Amino acid sequence: MRRIIVNIAFIIFAFALQICIFPFIPFLYASPNLLIILTFTYGFSLGVEEGMLYGLICGILMDLYVAGPFGFFTFLFLWIGFINGKLSTYFYEEYIVLPVAVCAASEVMYNVFIYIFKFLIREKFNVVFYIKNIIIPEVVITLIFTLILYRFLLWYNKKLRVLDSRGINR
Amino acid sequence: MESRNKFVLIVLSIISIILIGITSFNDSIISPLRQAVGIVLLPVQSGVNTAGRAVYDNIEEQRKIHSAITENIELNKKIDELTQENTKLMADNGELARLRELYKLDESYSDYPKVGARVVAKDSTKWFSTFTIDKGSDDGIAVDMNVIGYGGLIGIVTDVGKNYATVRAVIDDISRVSAMSLRTGALCRVDGNLEQYNEGRLILRDVKSDADVNEGDMIVTSNVSTKYLPNILIGYARDLKDDSSRLTKSGYIIPVVNFDTISEVLVITKLKEVSDQ
Repeated sequence: MRRIIVNIAFIIFAFALQICIFPFIPFLYASPNLLIILTFTYGFSLGVEEGMLYGLICGILMDLYVAGPFGFFTFLFLWIGFINGKLSTYFYEEYIVLPVAVCAASEVMYNVFIYIFKFLIREKFNVVFYIKNIIIPEVVITLIFTLILYRFLLWYNKKLRVLDSRGINR
Repeated sequence: MESRNKFVLIVLSIISIILIGITSFNDSIISPLRQAVGIVLLPVQSGVNTAGRAVYDNIEEQRKIHSAITENIELNKKIDELTQENTKLMADNGELARLRELYKLDESYSDYPKVGARVVAKDSTKWFSTFTIDKGSDDGIAVDMNVIGYGGLIGIVTDVGKNYATVRAVIDDISRVSAMSLRTGALCRVDGNLEQYNEGRLILRDVKSDADVNEGDMIVTSNVSTKYLPNILIGYARDLKDDSSRLTKSGYIIPVVNFDTISEVLVITKLKEVSDQ
C-alpha cells in the first residue's frame, strides 16, 4: 500500500516536472517523457495490475492537462501499462538491454498513436518529417532518462516492498 | 486473476473510448473536473516552475555578470547616442500620431485592456504548442481572448479555470487565423503547421491571385475574423506563389514572436464582438 502511494506521488511529481521544467530548458531539443518511463518501469517490474493502475493515473493526468477529447491519453497509457505488465514475465533485474528496448517500443507506440489520431486523420502525410523531427529526438532523450531513472526506481520499489511486507507481518 | 485483468482493461478501454466520443462533441461535461484539478495543480506547477527557474536563472546570472562589465562601458557610450536619437524620435512620434488619425488606425492594439500573465507549464511533446498561464477567470480571462506579447500575436485562450488558462499558440498544427495585409487590407489566412514551424515559419494561404500582397508585407489579424481582434501583428509575408488553381496565392509568414522562449504574455481582456450584420 505504501508503495502505491509513494509511486502515485512520484507520478504527480514527474508530471509537474514534465510540463513545468523540461519544456523551458532552452538547450534541450526535446523533453523526456517521464510518464512513459514511470508507466513502463512500474508495469515491467511490478506486473499487469500495477502497470494498468499507474498507466491509468498517468493517462488521466495527461487528459486533464491537455485540452481536447477526454480519454485519449487514458486509453493510450492504460494499454502501455497493460502491455508492459504482460512483458514482466521477462523481467530480470540485471538485464538492461531488454528494458531499454521495451521502453523505446512504448515511447514509439505513444508517438505513433498521437500521430495517427491527431495528425494523420487531418491528412498530414509527411511521416518521415514527423519521425525525424519529433519522434526520434523524443525517444532518444527518453531513453537517456530511462537509463538514469530505471535502476533508481527499481531500487526504491524494492525497498518499499520490504517495508510493506514487514508492515503486513507485524 | 489473468482474466480479471483483461476484463478491467477492456472495461476501462471502452469507458475511455466512450468518453472520447462524448467529449469530442461536448467537453463541458469534463470541464468542472478539469478546473478542479487545475486549481489543485497550479500551485504545484508554479512552485516547481519557480524553483526550476531559480536554479537556471542563477547559472545564467553568473554567466551574465562576466559579460556585463564590458557591456556596461559600451552601453554608457550608447546612452549618449540614444538620448540624441530620442529627441529626434519624439518629434517623429508627434507625426505618427497625426498619421494614425489620418489612417484611422485608432484601434491599434496598444489601446486594448490587457492582463499580464506568466507561462507556468507547456506541453512537453513537440506535437502540440499549447501552454498554461497563471491567470484565470478570477482575473477576467475568458475563452477566445487573444494572447499577445513580444510585439505580436501569440495565440488564443482555449480553456479557462479559476486561476489558470490554457493558450493555444498560432503555431499549433490546428491553429487558423483570418488575417490581412496591413498595407492593403487584402484578406488571407494564416495556418499553424508543425512541419513549417520547424523552419521558423507559418503558412500564408487563400490570398486572391489579384490581391495586392507583396513580399515583406506586415500581416495582421483581419477585421472579419470571428475570434481575433483586428490589427494584431502576426508576421511578415514571404515566398508568395500562385497555387495550382491560379485563383489563389500562398506563401509563408515569418512570425515576429519567437515561440520557443515565451515566458510572459499579455492577454487582451476584450473579446471580439461580432456584429450581426
